[in-house]
Amino acid sequence: MREEIVSELRSIVGEDWVITGEDRIQGYLYDETPPPMLPEASKDVAVVKPRNAEEVSEILKLANRYGLPVFPRGGGTGLVGACVPTMSGIILSLERMNIIKVDRENLMAEAEAGATLADLLKAAEDVGLFFPPHPGDEGAHIGGLLACNAGGARAVKTGVIRNYVKGVEVVLPTGEILTLGGKLVKNNAGYDLMHLIIGSEGTLGVITKAWIRLYPREAVNATIVIPFEDREMALKTVPAIFQEGLMPLAIEYVEKSLVEKTAQHLGLTWPCRDGDHQLILILAEASEAALYEACEKIVNICEKMGSLEPLVAESRGEQERILKIRSEIYSFLKPNLVDILDTTVPPAQLLELIKAVEELGRKYNTYLPVFGHVGDGNLHIHLMREDGWTKEDYDRLRDEVYRKAIELGGTITGEHGIGYIRRRSLEKYIDKKALELMRAIKRIFDPNNILNPDKVFP
Amino acid sequence: MGRGFRIVVLIKQVPDIEKVKFDFEVGRIDRSSAPAETNPFDLHALEAAVRLKEKFGGLVTAISMGPKQAESSLREALARGADHAILLTDARFAGADTIATSRALAAAIKKLGEFDLILCGEKTVDGDTGQVGPEVAELLNVPHVAYVSEIREVAGDKIVVVSDMGDKYLCEVKLPALLTVTRELNAPRLPTLRDVLSARKKRIEIWDADALADYEDPNRFGINGSRTIVVKVVVPGTEKRKGIILRGGDAVEKLFNILEEGGFARP
Repeated sequence: MREEIVSELRSIVGEDWVITGEDRIQGYLYDETPPPMLPEASKDVAVVKPRNAEEVSEILKLANRYGLPVFPRGGGTGLVGACVPTMSGIILSLERMNIIKVDRENLMAEAEAGATLADLLKAAEDVGLFFPPHPGDEGAHIGGLLACNAGGARAVKTGVIRNYVKGVEVVLPTGEILTLGGKLVKNNAGYDLMHLIIGSEGTLGVITKAWIRLYPREAVNATIVIPFEDREMALKTVPAIFQEGLMPLAIEYVEKSLVEKTAQHLGLTWPCRDGDHQLILILAEASEAALYEACEKIVNICEKMGSLEPLVAESRGEQERILKIRSEIYSFLKPNLVDILDTTVPPAQLLELIKAVEELGRKYNTYLPVFGHVGDGNLHIHLMREDGWTKEDYDRLRDEVYRKAIELGGTITGEHGIGYIRRRSLEKYIDKKALELMRAIKRIFDPNNILNPDKVFP
Repeated sequence: MGRGFRIVVLIKQVPDIEKVKFDFEVGRIDRSSAPAETNPFDLHALEAAVRLKEKFGGLVTAISMGPKQAESSLREALARGADHAILLTDARFAGADTIATSRALAAAIKKLGEFDLILCGEKTVDGDTGQVGPEVAELLNVPHVAYVSEIREVAGDKIVVVSDMGDKYLCEVKLPALLTVTRELNAPRLPTLRDVLSARKKRIEIWDADALADYEDPNRFGINGSRTIVVKVVVPGTEKRKGIILRGGDAVEKLFNILEEGGFARP
C-alpha cells in the first residue's frame, strides 16, 4: 500500500491505530470459515482501527478518493469468508468501538459495533435483563452479528438478531453517517433501510452502533435432553412440541456419537447416554409453576412419541455445560471439515431434508454429520474431507443438497449468509430479478464499489 | 448390613457463586443478586450415595439446614435419588457458624437413628471452610476422612477410600463413618425429567429446634451457639489492565522507570 495513503490514514485515526506489515496483520486476514473454503487474503493491506463513526466516515471518503477497497471486520467469527480482504485495501477493524450502555427503562442496549456478544450478554445481565439469541461464538462483534443477521440456537422463541435490532448508526460507503430507527418499538417512516443494512454483510454500509431490544430475564430455565432410538421420531417430536403450545428458547438436534466425541474432546462428559439421536430443549419461563407445567407437557409428548427417558439440567453450571458441548461440535469437526452448510427448510420439511442428506451420504460414500437448530428448520450439514476428492466433488455434493433444500421450499443459507464462498450458489438459486435489484441497490449505496467488494455477488 | 446401606447426605443451598454480587456497604454477600443452587460439591456426595445404594441396596436420606427455600435443593436431592429429605429450619438456627451448624446436623442424624455412612461435599462454595463435615463426625464420635477422591472398596464394616490432600492417602475406615468428597470422586448424573416432576410432589420433613431438643440444647444452635462472629468480609477489588504507549528516544529509560516503580525491576 502506498505510503501516502498509510500516512493519511494515520492522520485520521492516530499513529497507533494503523497497522501494516505481514506479521502484524496476520490475525486480521481470515475468519472461522473452514480452511479449504477460504479465499487467499491479500497481504497488501492496512488494518485501521477507528474510534468513532466520524473517523469511519473519513476513512471511507479517503477510500473513495483512491478507489481503495475497504473490508469491515468484526470478531472474525463468520463462516463464509465475508470479511476476508480478497484484494489490496483497508481492513476496517471496529474493535476499539466497544462501549455498551443499557437503558433499563426502555429495555434497550446501545452498543457500539466492536463490543462482543459476551459483552452484550453481560451488560444485559448486570441490570437484570436478558439478550435471548445465542449465535454460537461469544467473541462475535455486534457489528458482525447485525451485518450477517446471525441466528444460532436460541432463535425459536423470539427470532434471529434482526428481530432485536430497533436502530442502527451506519456509515455509508460514500461517507455519510446515518441513524436509522432508534429506541423505537414501532417505526413506519418510509422504506425500512435499517433492515436492508442488517444482513447486507458489510456491502452497503459500516454499522457503527446499534440499539438492541433486551428482555426481562425469565425467572427460571431448564435444559432438557430427550433421547430417541430413531431419528425420524426425534424430528417428528419437534412439531408436536409446538402444537402443544410450548415455545422453548431453543430446540436442537444432535447425534449422540458426535456430541459425545465433542464432549470428550473438551474433557467433559455428555450427560445423556441413551439413544443415538437426541433433542436438546432450552425452556425459559416466567415462574417455576409455568416451567414445571411445560415439563409435564413434555413428558406426555415424549411418551406419545416413544422417546427414551428425558433428562433435565436446572443449575446454571449444568445447563451451560450442555450448551457449551453443543456449541463446540463445530470446533471438534473443524480439523477435517471442508464446509459447514446452514441449509434451512420449513420446519416440517426438515425430516425430508435429512433423509435426502442420508441418501446423498450413501450415494457419495461419505459421512455427512448433521446437527442443528431443528426448531427453526435450520440444519448444519458438514462436508468432511475425503481422500482423493477434488473441489468439484465437494461442489457437486453441496449443490445437490442445495437443490433439495430449494425443492422443499427452503434456502441455501439460514444464518451464515453468502459472504465470499456462496456467491455462485446465490446466483444460481435466487430469483434473477431479485439479484438484479440487489445489484442495483449496491450501486446506489456504493457507486465506486469500494465497500467489501467481491462479496455476496459473483 | 443386611438391611442395606443407610446413608445420610448433607446438603446446603448456596447462592450461585459465579453470579452473586457483594454488598460492599454491609460487607456481606447479597443473596438476592443470584439464584440459589445446591452446593456443587454436595452433588458429588449425593451421587456417591446413590451409587452405593444401587450396588448394596439401602436408603439415602438428605438433610439440609437453612431457610424454607432450601427445600428446592432437597427436592433436587430427591430427584437425583435420595429416598427421604429433612429440612432443619427455624429462626433459632439462623446466624449459625460452623460449630452451631454442625450441632444441629449431628442432632438431626442422632434423631434419625442408625446410619452407616455420612457423605458431604468437601466444602461449600459460599463459606469455603470445609469444617462442617469433620465437626459433625466429631460430635457423633465417628471416624472421618476429608477430601475423598475415590471410594475403592466397601467390605463388611469397612470402607477403603483415597483422600486427596495434595498428596493422596489410602485410608481404611471403620463404619459408621463420615466422608467429605471432592469433585474428582464422580460425575453427577442429570436427573430424569420424570424424577424431577415426581420429586415436586414428595413430602419433605421439617424439623425445628424443638424437634432436636432431645439430642442437643436448642440454645446451642444458631447465633447463640456460635463461637465465632464475622466482623467484616473484604473482597479484593479487580484492577483493569492498563496500557501505556511510550515513544521517542527516552522510551527505554521511561520503561525502566515504570518497571522500577512497580517493583518489577531492580534499580
